[in-house]
Amino acid sequence: MTPDTRSIVTDLAARMGMQFAPDLKSPYLAGSAGLTAAVLMMVAQEGDRTAHRLVEENRAIRAILKQAPDVAAPADLAARLKTLAAGEDADLHISALQAANNALRDALTGLHAHVEGQTSAAAKSLEAAIWSELAASTGRRAFSNMGF
Amino acid sequence: MADLTEARIADYIAGRLEGASEVEVTALRRITGGASRETYRLRLSYLDAKGERIERPLIIRRDPPASLIDTERDIEFAAYRAFHGSAVPVPEMLWLERSDALDRPFFIAEEITGFESSPTALLSPPFADKAEKLGERKWTILGEISRADPHALGLDQVMEVPAPDACWKRELGYWEGEIDKDQIEPQPIIRAAIRWLRANPPPPAQKISVVHGDYRTGNFLYDREGDIHGILDWEMAHLGDPLEDLGWGLNRIWCWGGDDRRGGLLPREQAIAIWERASGLKADPAALHWWELFNCVKGQGIWVSSAKAWMDGENRDPILIFSAWRMLNAQDRAALELMGKL
Repeated sequence: MTPDTRSIVTDLAARMGMQFAPDLKSPYLAGSAGLTAAVLMMVAQEGDRTAHRLVEENRAIRAILKQAPDVAAPADLAARLKTLAAGEDADLHISALQAANNALRDALTGLHAHVEGQTSAAAKSLEAAIWSELAASTGRRAFSNMGF
Repeated sequence: MADLTEARIADYIAGRLEGASEVEVTALRRITGGASRETYRLRLSYLDAKGERIERPLIIRRDPPASLIDTERDIEFAAYRAFHGSAVPVPEMLWLERSDALDRPFFIAEEITGFESSPTALLSPPFADKAEKLGERKWTILGEISRADPHALGLDQVMEVPAPDACWKRELGYWEGEIDKDQIEPQPIIRAAIRWLRANPPPPAQKISVVHGDYRTGNFLYDREGDIHGILDWEMAHLGDPLEDLGWGLNRIWCWGGDDRRGGLLPREQAIAIWERASGLKADPAALHWWELFNCVKGQGIWVSSAKAWMDGENRDPILIFSAWRMLNAQDRAALELMGKL
């Protein structure tokens, strides 16, 4: 059996929120159970997509970092960007993908600070690509039915 | 460590009620919503010095092992006391205790009973059609807070008084420091916002005001008629630029209804106009923009710290991981929107 974890967790969350929580006498425990149900709903959404969004995002950031030589970054930053841009996600465990993502987003922050305010066409193009990727990153992390 | 019990609380209160006898505490219940402090509801009963039976519903707010924000309970207590009996409705504060009489510091206050506080309850009957009236009251009361004189309230004795041109630097420095200290993952969007804020500082504050610090839908008690009966959660209160509070209340993350009404109540421009009328102050658009973007940094500081407290196991209350996980991304989107990049 390959368990459909999303369905399982979604069902457990629904039971926790709609069956168990209302019957708890303590207002604090009832509230905590409701919040736990809401967190489980998020786990169900996130569990199914995490590997996909991390692979997609790591790939997108590496493509941006590959353009870094066009904007003459300081030597230490340039070397770091070059190393990270050449990487790949061979290990698909979420912990490994997340570690790579952290390193890539940290480097992206450094590159962003470097190109801000530069007036060359290459810098402006790279800055626009960074903003576009940052906007896309929030779409990848968004949850349904969560307001703004 | 002993449990927090009705008997222990009754013993504590009995020592503070002169001439009282038969002091009894019943119906002790922990309630939700106290992400920054543990919050309990209880009923106090005693005979006063004249032999008259007194019954009071009370609230205890006790320091937790770890919380969303590192706050000063003394300042929270002082802020409540300062506004009690004014145009800003707040519960009466009774006792502040810094010792370990109940294991950790706490304060005890009157409970204002019979009202709603949930932001999501506003989305459906019987409250949904009272959103406009509630919005009028909400931003009028904030105007009253902004208009108040901190010196006349005595709050300049317990809160640091910043220079008008130093408010922004102090607040931005503090919240950037919180993110530096607690971030678990890189925050490229908020780091870009911080760089912009430092490069484009706002004008000096038009006056030094009391800043509630967390003035939003969810932190006040309201009724079915659209009136507000208590402004709560003053744990981040300080003195500073009044636009800070206005910007926090306008933050897009509080658009609970999924539309653009701020706090789920009113359009942004209408809220600003009400605040200006009530406070007698001006919301300069460029300055307010700075403070709205700053509030995205502040918000991210809170969510990052919340996530860290939960991940480290310091505090496993589900409110911490729920609010952090849900809000981190929403806060990034709010910052992008303000920077014109969403």
